[in-house]
Amino acid sequence: MVKIKVISRSVDEYTRERSQDLQRVFHNFDPSLRPMEKAVEYQRALTSAKLEKIFARPFVGAMDGHRDGISCMAKNPNYLKGIFSASMDGDIRLWDIATRRTVCQFPGHRGSVRGLTVSTDGNVLVSCGTDSTVRLWNVPRPSLEDSDTSSEKSIEPSAVYVGKNAFWAVDHQFERDLFATTGAQLDIWNHNRSQPVQSYQWGTDTVISVRFNPGEPDILAASAGDRSITIYDLRMSIPARKIIMMTKTNSIAWNPMEPMNLTAANEDGNCYSFDGRKMDEAKCVHKDHVSAVMDIDFSPTGREFVTGSYDRSVRIFPYNGGHSREIYHTKRMQRVFCVKYSCDATYVLSGSDDTNIRLWKAKASEQLGVILPREQRKHEYNEAVKNRYKHLPEIKRIVRHRHLPKPIHKATLESRAMNDAKRKKDAKRKAHSAPGSVVTVPLRKRRIIKEVE
Amino acid sequence: MGGLKRKSSSKTLGKAKQRKGPHLPSSILKAINEKRPLNSDEEDDELDSDDENGGDVYEYEDGVPEEESRRNNRYDRVDNYEYELPEDFKVFFQHTRMLQDVSGLPAEVFKGEGKSERRKLYTEAYPESEFNPTRDVLEGKDSVTFEELLAPLEGKPGYNELRKSFSRMRKNTQSVVHAPLPKPERERLDRKSVRGQVDKEFDKWVPLVKRNREAPTVYFDKDVNLGYSTVGAIASEFKPRTKFEMNMASVLGGNEVLEAHRNDGVSMEDHIKDHNRIAKTRSLLFRHEIKSKRMKKIKSKTYHRLKNKDLRLAGESLMDPELAKEEAMKQEIRRVEERMTLKHKNTSKWAKRMRSRGLDMRYDETRAALSEQLQKHADLSRKVNSMNDGSSSDESDDEEELNDASDQDTPAKLLAKAKEKTLKIVEDDEVPNSGLLSLPFMARAMKKKQEEANEEAKRLVEEYEEWENPDGAENPKNSVNVIGRRSFGETAIVEAPKESKKEANNFYDNSDSDNDMDGIEDNDVVAVRDNASPARNTGTITETEIDDVAGNSAPKTTFDVALFASGSWKKMTGCKNAESKKASKTHVPISQAQDKKESRDEESEDSESEAEQMVDGILTSASKETFEIPSQAELINRAFAGDDVVDEFEKEKQKVLNEEVPEPEKPVQVPGWGQWTNIQNKRGLPSWMVREHEDAKKKREQALKTRKDARLKHVIISEKVHKKAEKLHTTTLPFPFTSKEAFENSMRMPIGPEFNPSTVVGDLNRPEVVKKTGVIIKPVKFEEVNPNDKADDEHPRSHQKQRPKKSKKVGRGQSKVKSK
Repeated sequence: MVKIKVISRSVDEYTRERSQDLQRVFHNFDPSLRPMEKAVEYQRALTSAKLEKIFARPFVGAMDGHRDGISCMAKNPNYLKGIFSASMDGDIRLWDIATRRTVCQFPGHRGSVRGLTVSTDGNVLVSCGTDSTVRLWNVPRPSLEDSDTSSEKSIEPSAVYVGKNAFWAVDHQFERDLFATTGAQLDIWNHNRSQPVQSYQWGTDTVISVRFNPGEPDILAASAGDRSITIYDLRMSIPARKIIMMTKTNSIAWNPMEPMNLTAANEDGNCYSFDGRKMDEAKCVHKDHVSAVMDIDFSPTGREFVTGSYDRSVRIFPYNGGHSREIYHTKRMQRVFCVKYSCDATYVLSGSDDTNIRLWKAKASEQLGVILPREQRKHEYNEAVKNRYKHLPEIKRIVRHRHLPKPIHKATLESRAMNDAKRKKDAKRKAHSAPGSVVTVPLRKRRIIKEVE
Repeated sequence: MGGLKRKSSSKTLGKAKQRKGPHLPSSILKAINEKRPLNSDEEDDELDSDDENGGDVYEYEDGVPEEESRRNNRYDRVDNYEYELPEDFKVFFQHTRMLQDVSGLPAEVFKGEGKSERRKLYTEAYPESEFNPTRDVLEGKDSVTFEELLAPLEGKPGYNELRKSFSRMRKNTQSVVHAPLPKPERERLDRKSVRGQVDKEFDKWVPLVKRNREAPTVYFDKDVNLGYSTVGAIASEFKPRTKFEMNMASVLGGNEVLEAHRNDGVSMEDHIKDHNRIAKTRSLLFRHEIKSKRMKKIKSKTYHRLKNKDLRLAGESLMDPELAKEEAMKQEIRRVEERMTLKHKNTSKWAKRMRSRGLDMRYDETRAALSEQLQKHADLSRKVNSMNDGSSSDESDDEEELNDASDQDTPAKLLAKAKEKTLKIVEDDEVPNSGLLSLPFMARAMKKKQEEANEEAKRLVEEYEEWENPDGAENPKNSVNVIGRRSFGETAIVEAPKESKKEANNFYDNSDSDNDMDGIEDNDVVAVRDNASPARNTGTITETEIDDVAGNSAPKTTFDVALFASGSWKKMTGCKNAESKKASKTHVPISQAQDKKESRDEESEDSESEAEQMVDGILTSASKETFEIPSQAELINRAFAGDDVVDEFEKEKQKVLNEEVPEPEKPVQVPGWGQWTNIQNKRGLPSWMVREHEDAKKKREQALKTRKDARLKHVIISEKVHKKAEKLHTTTLPFPFTSKEAFENSMRMPIGPEFNPSTVVGDLNRPEVVKKTGVIIKPVKFEEVNPNDKADDEHPRSHQKQRPKKSKKVGRGQSKVKSK
């Protein structure tokens, strides 16, 4: 018998469950049938790169209300919508991000508030300032009425601890009840004691900033006016490690997913990523800011961090990349003093000298709101294709292109020219001296003076 | 640095350093110096080094400045710059000598006192006391020792014990308490230990961090707590608080109510079972309804008629004997029809066409179809045959007689002979050890066939023995005939030995097999050849075929031919009985052919591809005499005799060059320009035009010279830049890639949904970080990770199936990628 092959298709495969469903399409995946696949995907990558540019609208909104420049911010680790901010005139506010309104105020400080932090459960707010006081506040529980009422409540501090010197920064331990303040020395406090439970001092200079390690709650890092970065362990009575750099470090952030790594925001406009075990050279130098980096905060995913700079811009860096992937700026935004990454890694907040807190999307072209699965898949595909062809010149150019404010652009060009000249000079010097007598110090080590034993 | 070293080394050399001009480099000198004592002979040294190192290791050094070397007297001479001894030098010496003489002590004692140690005089501002020790005491000089302190006590009671205890204390160094280290030093040491602790703390994270970094995707969307998902969950949490609620709860949760519920009659399981049953019935009914609707929709009358009939028959035939009989009759009619028409004898138009075109050979399916038809025919007609056995017995008897007459053999004898033959064949199975048949695959095939044949033969021998025993010995033929219509064992049994014999004979000795066959073959015999034999039907064999065609007229042969003659099957003459003359006639050419062949080469006994071998034989013999293998070059020349490849290539290259580096146009003037007068005509083109043209020519030549293929005669390297292709290339290798191949591989396979099945598209396109807006991501929580366990990350895109498992929470486990 001659066998006859018949195309057989089951009805089930072609029947839609609902009339809104898409008709199923069956593809033959034989590559010989589609010789142009690479070209097709390249074109798609190009299109998606362009689309990304078109849809890049990162600015979500500004929160206006303070009467002086924002000095510091704190995010509620337990509640996405809540953000605390403090200004130079001693005003502390709790904001509702969704409505972008003040929920309540915490009056009491008589000078600028320099540090603000919230306990991990989100119940206690700690603030400190130049009036030499540390104040503890009970955070009102978020409820449905809060968002409705326009009236702003004001709250009395639950405790006020007075110190001898002005305080510069405060940070709360993760999931425990200690917090650290800095000023003349580094003090460790308990919620319930009016005196610090422990004090550290190494050198005589003012400690500027402090940050607890989220992964290892007993370890913290502080930077001081003597251009040093110091690592402490709360279980020990003495500090562990200290390096001295050429310029001072304004802020420090630990990588929440990699507890040994920290990134320091430096006065020279660069950020330096260190391995806490080996501080004599930076693991990575993140360059792009043209002025001092004032604050830094890691994304909770540990893959990115956001920096705010004195050059009036906010940048987002990959944790292992030398240059920023994004720059945010507006005409009205002044010097940025504090930045925060939201706890779901979707938003970025920046507080600046112009008394405003600005809310940005962490991914400029991300579509907000509910996304259907198909849409999601499409976005993922676009992203994957773009990522695949990102090295090709055309796409690279589009993806990398950013409009910069004129002052920043000029400063960039200038610093580039200076760097080029210096490099050229160094190269010549090296070429004309005895081999081995002129050693090029890598950038990762260049700005680090020494590690103090 | 180097210079400094050189100096220092030359200093150590003592005298050698003053040498000028070429000398050994300092390093070598140093080495030599280390080996030899310093005072070794200088000349010797130099000689040695000369021998060893040759001239080139010398380096030049300017020793002393010129003014000092006094090579030329340009500088003022300082005649005497030796130090003059002071006047009192002699006096000093005299004094010491005198002292020496007086005291009898060596001179050094006085030297030290006199010259090197000039004592200083210190004046103290305060009187010396136990609170104000003198400088000597403070500096440790002239300090009081134990012995001095003990000396006055000597001889007093207890002196010895004191002395002993002192000496013991002095020996015991362990219990000595040292002075504490200075504070900074102490702190440094403390910090060092703290550092060690902190580093250890960090180190434990390394495997976890490494795993997360290497993971293709990190998931942060697992820890989603959406609160209550159902009303039931909320209700289960409810606890009565107010009085009213308490009352309600006590009523609802009271024993009576619960009891009442329990005794409601129907238990929950029963209810569920009932429900399921009803649901099943309903769905069955629904399906049936759908089906009948569909059937009802079919408008074809034939379909309905057939359906009804089928239904009816199915109902009736099972019970009614009448109908069963009718069915049997129909079957019989069909058989008769087959016998009459020979419908299934491959005589149809289709079968003929297939055979004429040789398609049956080519396609297995066709062949199978043809043979199936034949089989059917055989089935049908054979039954008829045996049914008619009784009627045609006289015929067969006649044939038997004929057989007997020709062979003079009784069946028993015949059987005995057959058995003998078979045994013989089984015994002698020799394999040719040269020629085509000795090739391994041929040998294997032959062995296989032989085994088959042997098996068959053995079975036969057994059967023979069975027949030979007294019970069935009288007349196998008769017994066969008696068997009746249902069993057709007779033909099968008698056929089988013939076949096997034939095969065996074909393999080993064709030449004498024919004669033997004559002996065994009875009326049913059909000599059948295996598939390989058609090769034989060239040349002399054709005659046989013709005979076969003629022989077909005999009823017996037709029957058996029909059984086996499907395409490739060839039959030899089997009809000794009817046309013995013809048979003898056919045998002659075969044997002749074989004789010829055997005389040529012995290996050609193989039944396979005899014709081919013959052809081969002819070929080889011919080539040996006349043909000489031409050289490779000659062959190629002959093959490409017509076309001039080199010339063509050169032309092509020239064309490409002209395209890529175009030739400059010849300078021409606008018609009429400069042609007014003869003078102008004579002057020709303006010089600037000529110059420009020449420049362009030179430039072109330069460009051609600098091309990559300028010196490569047989290569064209295009230097044309494709703008469209350019944008698909990078000028440098991008960062994370280490090789060009890796980079190109990363873009090789498409990832889109059009090019990949939907099951893998998700994996291919998954981003590095999967997070969800609105889900708080908590910092990493420590967990033990086996640093060697890399299996997870080996297949970056293969974790789709593991995804459900991920819902399993391990601690806070934010950063976990997969947990197997």
